[in-house]
Amino acid sequence: MAAPDSPSTALRRRDLCSRGIRLAGKMRADVVDLLDTYVEQQGLDASASVAAVEGVPLAAVERWDEQTGTQRLLENLAAYRAFRALLAQMLEEQREQLGEADAGLGRALAAVLLQVSAFAYHLEELLRLESRGVPSEEEDGPPPLPRLSLFEQKLRGLGVLRELAQWAVRSARDLRQLAKPSPATGTGPGLAESP
Amino acid sequence: DSHIQYERVGADVTMKCGSMDWDAAVTWTANGTDIDESHLNGSYLILKNVDLSQSGQYSCYEGSSWHLKYQTNLRVGTPPKEPVLMCRSNNYPKGFYCSWHLPTPTYIPNTFNISVVHGTKDMVCEKDAVPKNRCHIRYIQLFSTVKYKVTLTVTNALGKNFTTLTFDEFAIVKPDPPESVVAKPVPNNPRRLEVSWQNPSSWPEPESFPLKFFLRYRPLILDQWQHVELSDGTSHTITDAYAGKEYIIQVAAKDNDIGTWSDWSVAVHATPWTEEPKHLTTEAQITETTSASTSSFMAPPTTKICDKGAVVGSGAVAVCWTAGLVVAAYSVLFI
Repeated sequence: MAAPDSPSTALRRRDLCSRGIRLAGKMRADVVDLLDTYVEQQGLDASASVAAVEGVPLAAVERWDEQTGTQRLLENLAAYRAFRALLAQMLEEQREQLGEADAGLGRALAAVLLQVSAFAYHLEELLRLESRGVPSEEEDGPPPLPRLSLFEQKLRGLGVLRELAQWAVRSARDLRQLAKPSPATGTGPGLAESP
Repeated sequence: DSHIQYERVGADVTMKCGSMDWDAAVTWTANGTDIDESHLNGSYLILKNVDLSQSGQYSCYEGSSWHLKYQTNLRVGTPPKEPVLMCRSNNYPKGFYCSWHLPTPTYIPNTFNISVVHGTKDMVCEKDAVPKNRCHIRYIQLFSTVKYKVTLTVTNALGKNFTTLTFDEFAIVKPDPPESVVAKPVPNNPRRLEVSWQNPSSWPEPESFPLKFFLRYRPLILDQWQHVELSDGTSHTITDAYAGKEYIIQVAAKDNDIGTWSDWSVAVHATPWTEEPKHLTTEAQITETTSASTSSFMAPPTTKICDKGAVVGSGAVAVCWTAGLVVAAYSVLFI
């Protein structure tokens, strides 16, 4: 069982969680707007089903309510690091395909990429607060993404943005769980590993 | 033997009298009443273009012995039309429920079968005892982008029909309306009303899945609502109420991040605080009141200061004059 939190740690955690929740909310709103723009400019059908794409972290989870705080942080961090790489690749593909023609879409993608990076950093801060080792990027690094046809790239992009929108909702929920006072200590969240 | 026979509205029905020959002498009854021979073709009973009123028990008796030879319960009805299906999560993240009904009655028994598929996984929708046309599912996964597909099939003796609903986890989230809405005047504040409410009891985890709220209010005498959206908390103070006017107030709820707004709560009524009229019984008190500042004094419109029964004697005229001054001040302030 983890040692009880100091008041300053509990306060810092609560502060990081609150800011993280707001960041996740803004990120989601921007991703939803970006999805509309993306679908329109890529000539896609908004209701198209996209099969799970390799390398895109799925937000779907079973027994979400049973996860420990550490599990939540680690899964979130792995996801946002993967999204950081995926969005960077989308931006690169965008520039190759369209150059200046879609500057608006490029700017919107870049803005979301920035928020994803900021959120990943936020999660690392929370992990450091728990004196947890932050997994290195090499261990967690996503596998190299396969080279796809133009249409496949567009569909993958749709899948990436949809999953990111789901993650943004999940992350806000995860942080709210983290911010709840732990029944054991009465001050910090239940970050302890299950016995 | 008695059995049930289902026939469509408008159908032509021929009933045989069991194993009796066509030319046997028989008597048919419908719900105990003899049927006229004009409906018979030999021993067969012919009912043309049946309607709902012809449902009932039909019996056939051998002519002379009056032995019962055949009996059937005729049920006239229709095959089912496409059912109406609705699915909703008012207890997110626990699960969701689906409920259904037929747009028009069939007048005969129907059975409903519901299937729920999430991606490639079949899920069991457990039927509720009450109401009968409802079932519920517990979520196994959360935050999935894979859609749910719900198919409802309705079958009766005359046919079947079905409908399908496809949706994702977030889209069907709709809380129940807020509960225990209370609106109270604020003492010494003629333009304020304090409103409070509670999360709907069906919403299982308001701390992890907080709700936001939408409050609407208007004076009864006006049609236009005013709206306030509140991102947290379960109370709000209205500060721009019209003094002395009765208000109607309602609240709705929505998950902070996903889904749609609830229906409006039960309406509550409240009137902002107004100062109680002072009971004037002496000349000194009348003088004091007359010279008091009129800007803070609001006479309730229903107060009958000039009521004959309120005061007696020489003070009555002075009281009415005071009332006139007060009403004038009130009118000026209210413009």
